[in-house]
Amino acid sequence: MADPTSVADLTDTLLAGGYLADRGLATAVYVAMSLRRPVLLEGEVGVGKTELAKVIAARYQRELIRLQCYEGIDTNQALYEWDYARQLLHIRALSEHQLADDTTVDALFGPKFLLERPLLKAIRTGSSAVLLIDEIDRADDEFEAFLLELLSDFQISIPEIGTIAAAEPPLVILTSNRTRELHDALKRRCLYHWIDYPSPEREIEIVLLRQPQVAQALAEQVVGAVHRLRELELAKPPGVAETIDWARTLDFLGETNLTPAAADATIGAVIKEHDDLTLVRANLDELTG
Amino acid sequence: MAEAGMIAVLVEFADALRAAGIVVGSGDVLTYSSALARLDATDLGDLYWAGRTTLVTRREDIPTYHDTFVRFFLNSTTPMADVLRLHEAAATLTTPAAEGVEGEPDDNAPLGWQASAAEVLRHKSFAACTEAELAALRKIMAAIRLTPPRRRTRRTRPARTGRTPDLRRTIRTSLRTAGEPVALHWRQRQARPRPLILILDVSGSMADYSRGLLQFAYSTRRAARKVDVFCFGTRLTRITAPLHHRSPDEALRRAAALVVDWEGGTRIGGCLDEFVRTWGRRGACRGGIVVICSDGLDRGDPDVLATAIHRLSLLCHRIVWLNPHNADQPPLGMAIAKPHIDELLSGHDLASLTELAALLPKLA
Repeated sequence: MADPTSVADLTDTLLAGGYLADRGLATAVYVAMSLRRPVLLEGEVGVGKTELAKVIAARYQRELIRLQCYEGIDTNQALYEWDYARQLLHIRALSEHQLADDTTVDALFGPKFLLERPLLKAIRTGSSAVLLIDEIDRADDEFEAFLLELLSDFQISIPEIGTIAAAEPPLVILTSNRTRELHDALKRRCLYHWIDYPSPEREIEIVLLRQPQVAQALAEQVVGAVHRLRELELAKPPGVAETIDWARTLDFLGETNLTPAAADATIGAVIKEHDDLTLVRANLDELTG
Repeated sequence: MAEAGMIAVLVEFADALRAAGIVVGSGDVLTYSSALARLDATDLGDLYWAGRTTLVTRREDIPTYHDTFVRFFLNSTTPMADVLRLHEAAATLTTPAAEGVEGEPDDNAPLGWQASAAEVLRHKSFAACTEAELAALRKIMAAIRLTPPRRRTRRTRPARTGRTPDLRRTIRTSLRTAGEPVALHWRQRQARPRPLILILDVSGSMADYSRGLLQFAYSTRRAARKVDVFCFGTRLTRITAPLHHRSPDEALRRAAALVVDWEGGTRIGGCLDEFVRTWGRRGACRGGIVVICSDGLDRGDPDVLATAIHRLSLLCHRIVWLNPHNADQPPLGMAIAKPHIDELLSGHDLASLTELAALLPKLA
């Protein structure tokens, strides 16, 4: 599918893919796609940051390339790696005479022995890819610094081969759960959008869109309860993903109403912390009310 | 409106944002205007959201952006007012109401007859350091290097021995021996210093020490690489950034200006709970050494303190408590916290830094 022509167009396309984007988010993504800038999405856990990248990739028939960040991630895991086993076999198959030849050695460090990792793959795929750099806050500072060159020039330097640049940069979506503050230099290169919890009306729409089999009444009750849960002093307030899970669980069990008993039996779908459970169980009647 | 006129307005808007305290580079303004070129610049919604996505990079700045935007574009005296479709204003702008603005946590704690849990907001101004103090600061900072214990990271570096073979180097050198990997090379996991988090009590009962504490924080900040500093009385304030200033006087002045509850009441429990919720859970103290400087006089709910310190002890690596009041009868707060504290030191000024410096490497 061709790139979106307006914010409304983008919103409709995402909606067809089952993602309800508000005006701010749609504008951020639309600007990112037209100006070819990376976009940094922050927000509480489970508000649909990762989901957005998946839906964009699916709706615009782009390849989704995902890089899950973790502490200690380095260039070998993110960018490229040489295929050492093949290199070794290849060297051993060569005669001494061939080894003296420069071109044979060059070939050893040529494209044939290069293993693509997500970032290199995204650069090579170019504009027909969506690069999702997930939970960038989990990677360490060094990796963040390394991303700077990539995000501003969309090119990668491999000493043995040279510079590989993207003809048309891919759409880059970075997500962060704010476990730490990201470096300003990285933020400067990105568009920024904070995804908030949706309003109750919108959240009901989202639940019904994702789980059409759930009855409207049940969805309303679940969303109401989740909004009351978020007002409690919970260590981990439930996200939209949890709301959807909860509605689905209740529906699967054949419940048509959110009674205290039903809530008690299925509370594990929304509350995932021991201390919170105690607090919520004590307030079940008010929550489902 | 002419293109140039539009850009002039955007630049002026960026200036207004800067005046309101948001860092906006001229590159950001360029991005903003090119974003608007793709959108409808006369539509207030587009104007708002394009600006928010291109000029704002932190969640905390969103309310400021919103206010500045409303003041700048919706004020009838600006030249933009007549070209904008103002009637859309109400419909399209959802006010990020209390977003990012910290709501005052209501204090359900039973008030003792000493009213010190009542929140007193006041700023404290420190006189400039005396010559003798400056000299002491310099001396201590020159003499002391805080070396927090190190932890092994997932990152590896080439090493002479190790568990993981360094295939890249092995293959490289095997070229010299016709593909025979004669010498094996290895990689080893790196070690990094653990983060250090200072949480300082600046309430009334600690008034005599607050100056020493700030100097202590300042020196710590200079002596170790990864330090985060927080102050609390009845509310928690992060003062890491202002303490980074080179001049000790300026650093102390800026830090002191940021704290609003000098010499008020104490709510250790509430403040530690807030620290755990907003910073701890996000990973600020994960694997780190938390140093709490407080006398343990708490006017809040003991249960809150018990849960907070318990959670904190699960999140961080070690808790060190510096208590300047060496009372025989420890206050209730101290007694609650004690089981979760790894080290209890009696220190309150720059001299305690020496003690802490000696202790730190042992906390591995």
